[in-house]
Amino acid sequence: MQQKITGIRPCTWVYLLLMLLTLLTWTVGVMGLNGLTVALLVLGLSLIKGHLIGDYYMGLKLVSGGWRWVIVAWLIIPGVFISVAFYISGGG
Amino acid sequence: MLRQKTPGGDLAIWIFIIAELLVFAIFFATYAFTRSSHVEMFNASQLTLDSNLALINTLSLITSSYFAVRAVAAMREDKARQCFNWLLGALLMGLVFLIVKLVEYNHHYSGGINMRTNLFYMFYFSLTFFHFMHVVMGMIILSANAFKTRAGNYSAQNYTGLETGTNYWHMVDIVWIILFPLIYVMR
Repeated sequence: MQQKITGIRPCTWVYLLLMLLTLLTWTVGVMGLNGLTVALLVLGLSLIKGHLIGDYYMGLKLVSGGWRWVIVAWLIIPGVFISVAFYISGGG
Repeated sequence: MLRQKTPGGDLAIWIFIIAELLVFAIFFATYAFTRSSHVEMFNASQLTLDSNLALINTLSLITSSYFAVRAVAAMREDKARQCFNWLLGALLMGLVFLIVKLVEYNHHYSGGINMRTNLFYMFYFSLTFFHFMHVVMGMIILSANAFKTRAGNYSAQNYTGLETGTNYWHMVDIVWIILFPLIYVMR
């Protein structure tokens, strides 16, 4: 039986959140904010965005077991490497 | 909540997605560690990029991904016509991305900037063009999905092919979501 969708769909809320986080990231760039803390914060926002896409757009939220975390696991890999590299260089 | 054991779409596409993501992860790490030895040059070069165009591109891909999600949701409700329209919307936003990126490339090339200008631009052109080709591939797959939707090949009971295509498209989106701050914002 098809479930009738009423109100705003979760994917629409996620879309609006993704747009908001993107604008926030862009604002940081336009304002010329830099340094290790800012860089890691911006990276963190992007990792959250990636997780939201995995969960809500790719449907991993509804999957059990290892597949549930496949995108999160991937996000951690570049996330750690980029963080370490920026830490070494002191961010700015 | 009823949970599935495997993600939506063909399992083979997930193996492909993981392989693709790992390649991009290596590129990202290589960029970040190379940057750590040339911070001043990377930061100065980064400032010459147009973050407004990058913003348009990011919003385009996120919107395109959202349209792809709505296309699958429409097919789940057996609304093939709506699904087709959402897919056209997704393709249109993908096209916006490609056009904006070409405008950006043209701006750099006409200003005498290319891959050999410096290490930053070598990474900039390599990474973004590699991603660009993935957008092209994703659009070809989504076009095939749209044709099959139009032809009535999918239904509420059978839309694995559609999910396969849209999941590849979301992967392209996720990669750009990391690329955007890494290349344009973080310094």
